[in-house]
Amino acid sequence: MGDKIKAFWRKISWAWSPESERESSEAIVKNFWLHWFPAKVARASMDWNYSFWLGTASAALLLILTVTGVMLMFFYVPSTERAYGSIKDLEYAVSFGRLLRNQHRWAAEGMVAIVYIHMARVFFTSAYRGARAINWVVGVILFLATLLLSFTGYLLPWDQLAFWAITVGTSIAKQAPLVGPTIQFILLGGHEIGQQTLLRFYVLHVFFLPVLALVLFGYHMWRVRKDGGLAVIERVRNERAMAPKATPKTKSYSLFGLTPGTSVQVMSSTELEESDQVFSSPNMSRRIALVFLIVFNITLLAALLFNAPLEGLANPSVTPNPAKAPWYFVWLQELVASTTVRMGGFTISGALLGGILLPGFLLAVLTLWPWLDRSPLRTEGRWLAPERKRQNATFAVATLVIIVLIMVGVYLRGPYWRIYWPGQPRPEIPQLY
Amino acid sequence: MDADRRKILRFIGKGSVLAAFLGQIGAAGRAFFPNVLYEPPSRFKLKRPNDYPNGYTLDAAHRLFVIRQKDAFHVISAICTHLGCNVQWKDTEFDCPCHGSRFNPDGTVISGPAPRPLDWFATTVSPDGFLEVDSATDVARDFRLVIGGKGKA
Repeated sequence: MGDKIKAFWRKISWAWSPESERESSEAIVKNFWLHWFPAKVARASMDWNYSFWLGTASAALLLILTVTGVMLMFFYVPSTERAYGSIKDLEYAVSFGRLLRNQHRWAAEGMVAIVYIHMARVFFTSAYRGARAINWVVGVILFLATLLLSFTGYLLPWDQLAFWAITVGTSIAKQAPLVGPTIQFILLGGHEIGQQTLLRFYVLHVFFLPVLALVLFGYHMWRVRKDGGLAVIERVRNERAMAPKATPKTKSYSLFGLTPGTSVQVMSSTELEESDQVFSSPNMSRRIALVFLIVFNITLLAALLFNAPLEGLANPSVTPNPAKAPWYFVWLQELVASTTVRMGGFTISGALLGGILLPGFLLAVLTLWPWLDRSPLRTEGRWLAPERKRQNATFAVATLVIIVLIMVGVYLRGPYWRIYWPGQPRPEIPQLY
Repeated sequence: MDADRRKILRFIGKGSVLAAFLGQIGAAGRAFFPNVLYEPPSRFKLKRPNDYPNGYTLDAAHRLFVIRQKDAFHVISAICTHLGCNVQWKDTEFDCPCHGSRFNPDGTVISGPAPRPLDWFATTVSPDGFLEVDSATDVARDFRLVIGGKGKA
């Protein structure tokens, strides 16, 4: 009996712990969960301190968010009358409901941070050159999807934060030239925030945006493989002074005879030396499993230690004072609050300048950066290459400015959005609810 | 000749499927523009004029201020012209808690990101003696609803 169990266990687990090179390569072919990996990957791409496995961590967060999110859907009611109560129920009436919501919340905020840091890593290692530029663009869209998921997510509890975030968010959308009012109308499902608004943001949050994120995530991974793996393999190639091999010509027999062309895996890492490669199973599969476990445990710990915020029930009559966005949008709040331009009788609202034009410009520059980048290709896959000093400084300064704006918004802004320095007394503002 | 006819038929065939598909997408998109809105009317009644003291009174439910100077009334919107938060009356000015816009007592901008003054709403007295506001109609900043001794207030 014991032997039978052991044999059965071996049967389902051998692919994860292969005992020979033959089993390693067979694992990739025979195991569904491993089949999307190449049989071998570059040894350098397994380094912990090249990529910090931030993309894997983001994927882990996406998985946690999907699972906890679907769980939360069993308890949440997307109705303006019952949404807030269903969150309260999760906190007080459902066993471990609070834990579930906490983990969803902290995983979401973690994902915003980790996805950004992942993008910074790709930038600082010049890992978006050549064909990888496409994946950079996909990544930027995934980052946007992450932000939109967060935004639509914190609207659902229908608390004060939700209500005033929708008010401000859709008012910014209204400022878009020409189409603005139509966009606001379609987002709200009317002229005022109401049941239609909540339902629309709910469906966006639980269906459209997650599906978008999952599809793009799949494409993101597929492209990593088609581009030959992480950009660090270009560094290895450069170090080995390997001339790029002539594109292998392939011959395929189609119905009508020979089909000439080049092989699909033009940029395969398999052209690296044998010693520069390792088997995906177990070298990559175990690392991925480890990263998933670490991320899972960190979010669980955060969920045990800290409660997700929940403000008072949405009240259109009273704006909280001050009304602050979550930290990852506070820098935008600072921008819309301080970019109104007045020249004579002519005024450009900060809502348009700081809420649409400036973020739009940043986004466009970010998206097009691979084509603006003129640095030498030998920087590929190298951290903070000196040849890219100016580019790296630009990205670092932009990030720093955003962090400073976030700090100002989170720590210094007080009632009526005025600056209060640490230690400076803040006026008591009666909270009317 | 025969080939031409096939071409045309094929064009009509594929074209009609494409047209139907685009029409379907358009119809689905159109559904997101509501035809009926269950929203409160833009014209609504407040309290009776004499229920308001002199000075600035907030009507939180309607998000506006009723300002009374003896017999003269006017109504200023409490919705910030920047991004739609509710401004608060602070002794001598309106202040916005979201992005720090500040407005004079007549609604003109002192400072902050607000691009234009607060709206003034057309105000009348309804036949049954209540203040009546039309929030869809703006009035100039010299508007006053004077309810004299002979009036019905």
